[in-house]
Amino acid sequence: MSADSTHQFRDTSAAQQRFLSMFLRSEREVFRYVAALVPNVTDAEDIVQQTAMALWEKFDDYDPARPFTPWACRFALNKAHQWIERRQRWQGLLERGLAEELAQRRQDLQPEFESRLKRLEGCVRKLPEGQRSLVEGYYYERIGIETLAERSGRSAAATYKMLQRIRLALQHCVESQARPEVA
Amino acid sequence: MTLTFPSPEFDDAVAAVCHGSATEVEMRALNELLRSNSSARDEYLFRVELHSRLASDPDLFSEFGDTTGSVSLPARNTGDPSQITPLNPVVPPSRRKLVRVLALAACLMLVAGGIGRLWFKWSLARNGATSAAVAMLTRTVDARWSPKVHPLRVGSALEPGSLQLESGLAQVVFYSGARLVIEGPAELRLVSPSEAVCVSGRVLAEVPMPARGFRLKTRQLSIVDLGTSFGLDASQNRSEVHVFKGKVELQPGKAGEQSLAEGQAALVQGSDLPQLMAANPEAFAPMFEFQQRSLASEAVRYDQWRLSSAQLNRDPSLVVRFDFEDLSDPDWALPNKAEKSALAEGGIIVGCQRAEGRWREKTALEFQSVNDRVRLAVPTEFRAMTLSAWVCLKGLDRDFNSLFMSDGFEPGTVHWLIRGDGVLGLTVFGPRFGKFQILASPPVSSLEKLGMWQHLAVVIDGKSQEVVHYVNGLPVSRHTLNIGPPFRVGSAELGNWNARSGPNPEPSLIRNLSGSLDEFDLFSRALSDAEIRELYLKGKPDL
Repeated sequence: MSADSTHQFRDTSAAQQRFLSMFLRSEREVFRYVAALVPNVTDAEDIVQQTAMALWEKFDDYDPARPFTPWACRFALNKAHQWIERRQRWQGLLERGLAEELAQRRQDLQPEFESRLKRLEGCVRKLPEGQRSLVEGYYYERIGIETLAERSGRSAAATYKMLQRIRLALQHCVESQARPEVA
Repeated sequence: MTLTFPSPEFDDAVAAVCHGSATEVEMRALNELLRSNSSARDEYLFRVELHSRLASDPDLFSEFGDTTGSVSLPARNTGDPSQITPLNPVVPPSRRKLVRVLALAACLMLVAGGIGRLWFKWSLARNGATSAAVAMLTRTVDARWSPKVHPLRVGSALEPGSLQLESGLAQVVFYSGARLVIEGPAELRLVSPSEAVCVSGRVLAEVPMPARGFRLKTRQLSIVDLGTSFGLDASQNRSEVHVFKGKVELQPGKAGEQSLAEGQAALVQGSDLPQLMAANPEAFAPMFEFQQRSLASEAVRYDQWRLSSAQLNRDPSLVVRFDFEDLSDPDWALPNKAEKSALAEGGIIVGCQRAEGRWREKTALEFQSVNDRVRLAVPTEFRAMTLSAWVCLKGLDRDFNSLFMSDGFEPGTVHWLIRGDGVLGLTVFGPRFGKFQILASPPVSSLEKLGMWQHLAVVIDGKSQEVVHYVNGLPVSRHTLNIGPPFRVGSAELGNWNARSGPNPEPSLIRNLSGSLDEFDLFSRALSDAEIRELYLKGKPDL
């Protein structure tokens, strides 16, 4: 290895640590921002990963006086566009300006979402055991749908359907609890 | 296909998008609907938000799984909606997450350029490399950890995640400088170098000025430290904060902020307003005692060294690093602590004695007899090199006392030594046998320095064709190097030399060291004066 290229690397390593710690702090919010456009978890994670690379390349341009997350989200929107461009199916969903509209509207609704979702933890805990473990398996442990289906003795389609029902139940739960607070 | 809202078809389409199984026809129909119907759009956004929240907030699961009741965590960041604020980035100690962080760190290196590419491969091969650590476990007394998590050793770097102490005391020093003493049973979740969550148990925090702003959270409140010492007793329903020195700021879930001054304490139960009382140091007596011991200046220096050590170990240009910290008698292998080095193997100790290092708690390796040595092999070639060692000399018994010497007189190799007259020497061997250059400093080590810990370093820079000797962080001599790179180490020894000669070597060929080493580093680049100075400052025995 050559002396000149290694020479800079100590600085790079420190910058990298700084970047990683900032990015990891914003990662969830960036993920949610991306997921509003591409909700499928693994796809959204891919986009977040690509966003991280792009952010790192441009980290020198980052102005530490400004908040990191909005800066990161701008890159994420770009990366999401690039990702969508190569996928016709997702183009169908997000074309004709819907991507920008969703991103903008989500930002407007953020405080309201935040207050409704405060109850989510309590609601997850109130789920019947079987449902709770399915949600936990799918979202937290990231177990594949086939395995989850096998484990519960359902078909994959029925497992998806079950997840859909559980999400609706959670939505009712957070909304029924959120209303009195607004009043 | 046309979708209406509300309808079961809408529900199915949204779910299919979340699962990634929607067809193009469904997606187009959804696009049509969401662009024309704002209620449908808002409903869609909320469902997707709930879904992405489930996928990205590990706090929703497991962590509090054993608790009953339905108390939710205190209000998280509200406030300015334009600045999107992330929730506590608490990372579950799951492998999946760790692997992702590692992959990310490795990929960043890739981006950093050609050299990065090399290290990328190496760090994949040695999956110990990570930069996610936020704190270090520095000392414990009778600590028993939850069997659910893998055992923690003193000196372990701690990544974000949960620490479950069943009994005993443990001290965690955050990279921000904040030190927490935890008394078991307790559960502490590490979030970042300046933030932790105390789920339950007792904590004594010592936050020096540079770590001001350290945040400790419980279910009921968030404590922002303003440079101080305070105690916390947390359980599911209540949190008690006692300020022993300085000032803290309390941010209870609903009520406004409140500051607590020295001698004050506050009890927060449920969502009630804080109840003020007098601080009670007695409740934290065993922790104070433990903290006092760990605050003894020598122990502080040792802890500081260990913290900077953990960071140094991740330096990508570090090829070999021995800290002589885990010298266990039956196992004479010396682990290489350089995390990003391709050299997985460490050194082999032959002979030698275990001795006290720069601080009472630090171990060193003592070289005394002609047999004592540490053997290692470094197969790489270098354009530049830096050698650094902490040495305590007992005597200068030989004409040549080896610090670090490649075997024999091989082309491109180096011999780093102290001469009997106290001169630091570096011999660089040229590409052909018989050609070499000796670069000797003025005498630096005299008898009155015997028995004292000294930092010695030498930089060999092939590009600028310069060799610089350093003692205790300062350059003592600079020399022009007439031999160009590549430089090699090959098979080499610390504290001795393998002359590769016959069974009865001449006296001048016996070059064993008389003294102790408690740290040795080999870098694949030329460190600057400032960097050598920093190495010295971070390792010097006294403040």
